[in-house]
Amino acid sequence: MNLERVVFGFFTILALTLNLVFVVGQIDNPSHHDVWILTIAILVNLIATGLKLGDRSQIGALLLAASLVADLLLITARIFWIVADSDSATGPGADSTVTVVSLAAGALAANVVSAVILIGDALMSRR
Amino acid sequence: MVVLRHMRKPVFALIVVYAIGVLGMALIPGTGADGEPEYMSLFHAFYFFTYTATTTGFGEIPHAFNDVQRLWAIFCLYIGAIAWLYAIGSIIRLVQNPHFTRAVNEQGFARSVRHLTDPFVIICGFGDTGSLLARGLSDHHLRATLLDRDPERIKAFAVRDYRVRMLGLCAHPDVPRHLIDAGVTQPDCKAVVALTNEEDTNRQIAIVAKLLNPAVKVISRSTSERHCKHLNSLHDVLVVNPFVVFAELLNMAIVAPQLHNLNSWLVGVPRIRLGHPLKVPCGVWVLCGYGRMGQEVHHQLVRHGIQVVIIDPDVEESVAPGRIIRGYADYDTLREAGVEQAAGIVAGTDNDSDNLGILVCVNHLNPSAFTVARQNQHENQIAFDAARADLILQSSLTTARRILKSLISPLIQVMIEFLHDKDQRTEALVSRLRAKVGERTPHLWRLGIAHEEASAAMELLDAGQDLVLGDLIRDPNDLDGTLSCVPLVIRRGGELLMLPEDTEAVLPGDGILFCGTEHSERLLRASLNNPYTLHYLIAGEEAPRGYVFQWIAGWASRRADS
Repeated sequence: MNLERVVFGFFTILALTLNLVFVVGQIDNPSHHDVWILTIAILVNLIATGLKLGDRSQIGALLLAASLVADLLLITARIFWIVADSDSATGPGADSTVTVVSLAAGALAANVVSAVILIGDALMSRR
Repeated sequence: MVVLRHMRKPVFALIVVYAIGVLGMALIPGTGADGEPEYMSLFHAFYFFTYTATTTGFGEIPHAFNDVQRLWAIFCLYIGAIAWLYAIGSIIRLVQNPHFTRAVNEQGFARSVRHLTDPFVIICGFGDTGSLLARGLSDHHLRATLLDRDPERIKAFAVRDYRVRMLGLCAHPDVPRHLIDAGVTQPDCKAVVALTNEEDTNRQIAIVAKLLNPAVKVISRSTSERHCKHLNSLHDVLVVNPFVVFAELLNMAIVAPQLHNLNSWLVGVPRIRLGHPLKVPCGVWVLCGYGRMGQEVHHQLVRHGIQVVIIDPDVEESVAPGRIIRGYADYDTLREAGVEQAAGIVAGTDNDSDNLGILVCVNHLNPSAFTVARQNQHENQIAFDAARADLILQSSLTTARRILKSLISPLIQVMIEFLHDKDQRTEALVSRLRAKVGERTPHLWRLGIAHEEASAAMELLDAGQDLVLGDLIRDPNDLDGTLSCVPLVIRRGGELLMLPEDTEAVLPGDGILFCGTEHSERLLRASLNNPYTLHYLIAGEEAPRGYVFQWIAGWASRRADS
């Protein structure tokens, strides 16, 4: 067992699961989506990206790319939320919520790709 | 462009006919809905003429025609249909013209060859040998361009299924222009192989190829002494004489049976099992047929002190020592030669049915004898397999294997020659190959220690670290084992290191010849390009990958030091 692999796998999969936690729920209902979860998901994603920096293998490059995509989409979603929240006192409306959750769902796809590559790599090395 | 030149008249005819028809239709007044004269627009006239001339016939559009218009429509239909028939007929005539098709084929072939970016070989002559060679090259993912003057052979080539795309053209291969079309002057052209049935053509191909591109490797088949000599006088031309090659193989089978077995296994002789060498007996031998092959075999046998009885209808008494029986090899002459007590029999005539007949007689008279047969036609393979000869000389197969060996892995021949008088090293190599490759078909490949092929290894070497051969062939899934491959030769500059030890250092620029399985090649190449796998192979532990973990590892080691 390799400590690096454990930590790496932990953050990659945590990023995926937190992302899923945020996305689950009715797409246009802001009370189903917690902005705190979104913020923590961004944080975990950024840590996962940081761990991926410096890997010189092909797989490493692909993992980093997927991670960057997830960061980009999640941060965009968070910015949308801020803008929508500031307009009204009652929180974001249904339209804005749809945009935010769709962006987070896109990030979820990138995180799924990351996890699949990670598992594939582990299975391929067979040791 | 030849098409356009040829189509000038028909196209002209079509334009004129269209112009007449459309103009007429536009100028003739039609009858409008209210009885007033109404002219067809030019576009409508063209539309009408187009569907009429091509005999589609949508009807009278936009309004019903009057009689004058209908008269003109009849005229339009006939001239239009005739003009189209004339044009289509011209195209068909052009396509059927053999000179035209040849020109188009040549142009297409030359264009495809010019766009080849991988290394390729030019094969001149697609007979038995050519087709075997093309098959062998395709198995090693090497492309070839083919020239044969027989259209039937090119048709046969076109229906073959190769792993890589091969290009073929029906043309005289000794014409310089066709050799250029086939790519002799291109830098990616590895070799020109002359395999036509005429010795003179082969010689001409060799000379032309050398003149057009002095750097290209030329390989020619030749069985006549005069042409062999002539070709040998050209610089850097490899002459393959199947009878000489076979005599060498026979000699090897007598002197170094283990090595003969290894060689046959490496070149892929079917049903050969590594470590089960042939035992060539040293008693009296009967040689049937004293032709080109018979002479070479006789020479080898006599050299090893084997007594030979020759059966041949035309042999001169003085040419060879030993007993000579004049006549065709049949039941009586074979018995006269003492075939019941003979140790070995060579059926070496240039007629396959004679050779098969001899084998049948021998199987009947002396089933335990060692039999050597010459197979002249590739299509008789199954019959010869059924006759169970111990050694078969099939001229085309022997030639193709030798040429393939020199194209794919020229070092193998050097290694075989190196091992010629080293029985113990041969034995050791054979047992190692048996352990690693076993019953699987051997796969030979060359690995260059260079940035393109082994980026991670070069990085390591550039950083001043050592890399030994044993690290390379270690199995990444099991550090105590090795991959199913054996390094055979290292080429370092002009020097060749035969059968290197596992402790041998690997240096930048080395070319290493391996024998193993295709799977092991993929694994080996993968680890040589992945710095982490390579580090794992050498150090036995995973290196930290990301900057964060590298920093932590560095910090931990600094703390341990202090």
